[in-house]
Amino acid sequence: MPPNATPAILSVQSARLGFDRPVLGPLSVDVPNGARWALTGPNGVGKSLLLKAVTGQARVHGGRLHLAPNVDVSLLGQDHPRRQPWPLSGHDWFRAMGATAPDQPRIQALLHRRLDRLSGGQWQLLRLAAALHSGSAQPSRERLVLLDEPANHLDAEVRGDAVSLIAALPANATLVMTSHDDDFLRAIGVENHPLEGYFDAG
Amino acid sequence: MLGDLLLVPFVAGLLVTAVLALAGAGLFLRGSVWQALALGQWAAAGGVLASVLHWPVLPVALALGAGVMALLQRTPDRERLPLAVFLAGLAAVTLLAANFSQASLAAAAWAEGQLYFAGPQELWAVAALALASLVLVLGLLKVWRHAQLAPDVPATPAPAAWLRLTEIAWLVAAIVLGSMVLGLPAALASLLLPAWGAAHLARNLRGHFLWAQSLALAGFLIAWSLSLPLDQPFAPVLVLVNVVLALAARMVAMWR
Repeated sequence: MPPNATPAILSVQSARLGFDRPVLGPLSVDVPNGARWALTGPNGVGKSLLLKAVTGQARVHGGRLHLAPNVDVSLLGQDHPRRQPWPLSGHDWFRAMGATAPDQPRIQALLHRRLDRLSGGQWQLLRLAAALHSGSAQPSRERLVLLDEPANHLDAEVRGDAVSLIAALPANATLVMTSHDDDFLRAIGVENHPLEGYFDAG
Repeated sequence: MLGDLLLVPFVAGLLVTAVLALAGAGLFLRGSVWQALALGQWAAAGGVLASVLHWPVLPVALALGAGVMALLQRTPDRERLPLAVFLAGLAAVTLLAANFSQASLAAAAWAEGQLYFAGPQELWAVAALALASLVLVLGLLKVWRHAQLAPDVPATPAPAAWLRLTEIAWLVAAIVLGSMVLGLPAALASLLLPAWGAAHLARNLRGHFLWAQSLALAGFLIAWSLSLPLDQPFAPVLVLVNVVLALAARMVAMWR
């Protein structure tokens, strides 16, 4: 590492990832602390799988995936189907995620409503806010926020709120997200990193 | 209203109903309805087997219930495997009843329920479980809240392994003891129907637990006050009352 380089919060070295068997890799990537990254690439390239491997939902079959010490990781999964009926309110969701709800009026308005009665866009916005604020009550620990296609289901009404929420992420938190929505990525101002560029040669 | 003979069954029934309502709300949140059916059926199979072997009923029923739960926890399949295990338990009870006369009597008792014959032993067991439920309730809520999140992941730690194991052990004890005291159909009706009705009425998670308790206890009291004067077996009356209450809860939720 060069002397002034930012240390990596996530370091992946020649890792082969998958569920029951490896389906991705080997790939090597270091995500610097405080980065704002968007992993891009076609469907099936392995963006979601990499995020799942970081949270332990997928397995590392070879190589190494290392998180810096004292890092709390939160993940917004790509899709979260809601059961019907589902007797949880917005408040319940934030509590389950270990998050404090932000002051944004549109989020505050959703806190008392049942999750199964929100529109798809409102549900996505609420989940996004909770993932972004999960663990924020512990400023002494570093945070890695992973967002898998956060622009999914966002309608015009809530899209601006989603952009504001992500843009307001504090500088000491690191963001790694995936998205196929170029306009959304531009609005947030993240660095694009095509995942294919991190596969090991040969 | 309650003679000395019926006081113990009444209190035991009321306590186990409250425990089952809590367990039912948890199972509803976990989406584990079929697991409850399989577990209850194998608890009954354990009770019937114990009668054949002249062993104490509760430990055998608990052991088989725990074995089934351990098996079902090892697979993500929440429907087909639990259904197969439930059917296997049903077949085991039927075969035991067909081949052993004492098993036939025991199977009938588990199917029909024998709340009126609950004695101090059942009451103490249920009281201990109710007390344990009070002690554990905050931890149980933590496990059930966390179970709602996947595929999302919070930055806060997941419930500890010992707490998740305790929750499973507590569920096994609740379903086994509930089936032993109320009979399998009545226990399942107290477990599943109030939680389902409550899920339509509640505004949030806390409301879900409170409504589940209210519907389950109301069902028990209505069934008790109907079955005794009408000289009917308690368990089927309780099942029907809980069905009516759950459907009424759903209709009320649709109208408001």
